[in-house]
Amino acid sequence: MGGDWQELAQSAVIGLIFAFLVAKLISVVLAFKEDNLRITRSAPAPPAAPSPSAPPDDAPSNAADPLLDGSGSSDSDWEGVESTELDEDFSAASAFVAASAASGTSVPDEAQLRLYGLYKIATEGPCTAPQPSALKLKARAKWNAWNKLGAMPTEEAMEEYITIVDELFPNWADGSSAKKRDGDSTMSASGSKGPMGPVFSSLMYEEDQGTETELGDIHVSAREGAIDDVKKHLSAGVQVNIRDSEERTPLHWAVDRGHLNAVEVLVNSNADVNAQDNEGQTALHYAVLCEREDIAELLVKHQADLQIKDGDGNTPRDLCSSAWPFMKPAN
Amino acid sequence: MAAPNTNDAAGASASTSDDALAPPEDTSIEALARRVQEHMTLANNPSARRHKFWETQPVGQFRDLADGSLPDGAIEPPSPLSEVRADPYPLPAAFEWFTCDLDDDALLADLYALLAHNYVEDDENMFRFNYSPAFLRWALRPPSFFRAWHIGVRAKESKKLVAFISGVPARIRARDDVVRMAEINFLCVHKKLRSKRLAPVLIREVTRRVHQENIWQAAYTAGVVLPTPITTCRYWHRSLNPKKLIDVGFSRLGPRMTMSRTVRLYKLPDAPLTPGFRQMELRDVAAVTRLLRSYLARYVVAPDFDELDVEHWLLPQEDVVDSYLVESPETHEVTDFCSFYTLPSSVLNNATYSTLKAAYSYYNVAVKTPLQQLMNDALIVAKQKNYDVFNALDVMENEGFLKELKFGPGDGQLHYYLYNYRIRNGIKPSELGLVLL
Repeated sequence: MGGDWQELAQSAVIGLIFAFLVAKLISVVLAFKEDNLRITRSAPAPPAAPSPSAPPDDAPSNAADPLLDGSGSSDSDWEGVESTELDEDFSAASAFVAASAASGTSVPDEAQLRLYGLYKIATEGPCTAPQPSALKLKARAKWNAWNKLGAMPTEEAMEEYITIVDELFPNWADGSSAKKRDGDSTMSASGSKGPMGPVFSSLMYEEDQGTETELGDIHVSAREGAIDDVKKHLSAGVQVNIRDSEERTPLHWAVDRGHLNAVEVLVNSNADVNAQDNEGQTALHYAVLCEREDIAELLVKHQADLQIKDGDGNTPRDLCSSAWPFMKPAN
Repeated sequence: MAAPNTNDAAGASASTSDDALAPPEDTSIEALARRVQEHMTLANNPSARRHKFWETQPVGQFRDLADGSLPDGAIEPPSPLSEVRADPYPLPAAFEWFTCDLDDDALLADLYALLAHNYVEDDENMFRFNYSPAFLRWALRPPSFFRAWHIGVRAKESKKLVAFISGVPARIRARDDVVRMAEINFLCVHKKLRSKRLAPVLIREVTRRVHQENIWQAAYTAGVVLPTPITTCRYWHRSLNPKKLIDVGFSRLGPRMTMSRTVRLYKLPDAPLTPGFRQMELRDVAAVTRLLRSYLARYVVAPDFDELDVEHWLLPQEDVVDSYLVESPETHEVTDFCSFYTLPSSVLNNATYSTLKAAYSYYNVAVKTPLQQLMNDALIVAKQKNYDVFNALDVMENEGFLKELKFGPGDGQLHYYLYNYRIRNGIKPSELGLVLL
């Protein structure tokens, strides 16, 4: 018996390496092929459409696939990586089984035969060996265990193999250095999401209610706080108070994004601190709304008007929710 | 039940003929290559695989989806209690089971610290949930809770808490069937021990302890697809403090959009607008229970709340749960109700901010007041209380106000699951009346 398990362990290593290389080669070739197909094919039906081309009596995973794709799980980055991880798990599990068999740990006959069959499927595929004589009891039992699995897919065999090992030896992976990946991902696609529990979600789209706005180059430079570019535009003769399509000056943009140094450059180049955009707001309106205290103070020092009303009738002072002393009335 | 099978066969042949009608450039070699590729994709599809644990569990299996003949209800009958495994499942040698007594402030602090450093993060690891100690006590000790369901794993040597899972009892109605269930939550394994395969053992152990109380069903959520969601919800987010949300990366500013306009876009009135809108108090428990029970009855899956539950889950607690109602100024009748719970997140790696304060929509019942107006008042009080963002799932009637109140869709999907209970064909988010924390 012990000899069988050792032999098994040996063929495990060779078989796995070979299977992995072949799978990798096929997937690379096919991925290349598929890319070309995507370019040439103008077929309207996306591959995720819930019309499975697989016959209904195919493997269960096929039946599930339309739903899974339809549910929009963002797991695509796991494709490809995944098979190697399964291979790793499987090879770790089979190595563990071989080792424990060698050290004399007993495993129930039934489980042992099942593992044998799954192992053969995973490493060699469906059984094609001739049926041993009925007199060779052990060989016949093993052959039966292999043969009865029929055309079970390799991956499925690996999965079930690991499941059985999990059941037999719940802590088998403890001593295994092969288990480098997130162990919890037995049940999860992503370590950060965890196998169960709540989900952290953040806003999918950016705030973009201004997509039609057209900016000049100097507005962009001011928005990015690129003071050298701002200076370049100015010395090239660009008007310091030039308006974008929403009547904003470069100063509005520099204030909006909080670039104090760009604001300094602009006011020192005689920018109009009281220029109003198409909603009647000045740079100081922007500064108080965006709670940019240092910039607001600078603007006030440069005679920004605290009393200008925007289109809604609000002065900068009305909009200021902070108790900034320089925003208080003079008396 | 021959009919569904016939339908399946018809559906299959229809898709086959679709294949036959594929564009002419789909030559046979390409078609063959595509089939092989599809097969490879299936084999590599992480959702379809890697559920070696869940495939052994009494949960809806993907392969059963096409089978319309399976009945709603328990997947497996209860076992005699004598057959429930008596001993805890074995742990790796260095660890031991440890029941967390949350009366003990020190143990509560340990649990808080484990979760605060190791629990759920976003995909980019910019935020991590930071459930407060008071919240954990609230979430884990509802009426008739079982202390044995607060399951910790600690290192034998150091006694350090390294993993946790919890259940709390709940009565959940699925269609006409009120079922005693466990709500499973707070599964967390220390980051350094993620290679120890502790999670499956924790799930098995909590299942065992739930079974010991003669409870055979459970409800839980996950961000990942497991076999098999009863429904899949999306999170929506309403900015209350847009500048901070942009600064911490929760939200982004388009290159042609100004911060000042964004700030103005999300401005809210200073005080609630609905006359009679006030905080819920203890004396309101009976009225709120009546409102809630009749409202939740319209959903396919919803909790079956009694007054004790309402008092626990909905009576306001500072920075844990907030509930407001509308009391008619004339009749003093309680006509409407809304609530949210408080779940801050740590902001990782930001120089200015360390915490994001989020309100999560909980249970809302609008009878006399339009739901949109009621929720607008909820936003207003949340803003007053310095929340940065108000989150809501698209469950119940929430879709009716999300866009109008300037919620934006989130990148997070939340899948709802029932353990050992089948809901054939699943349900729509709008048919779900259950919010898990």
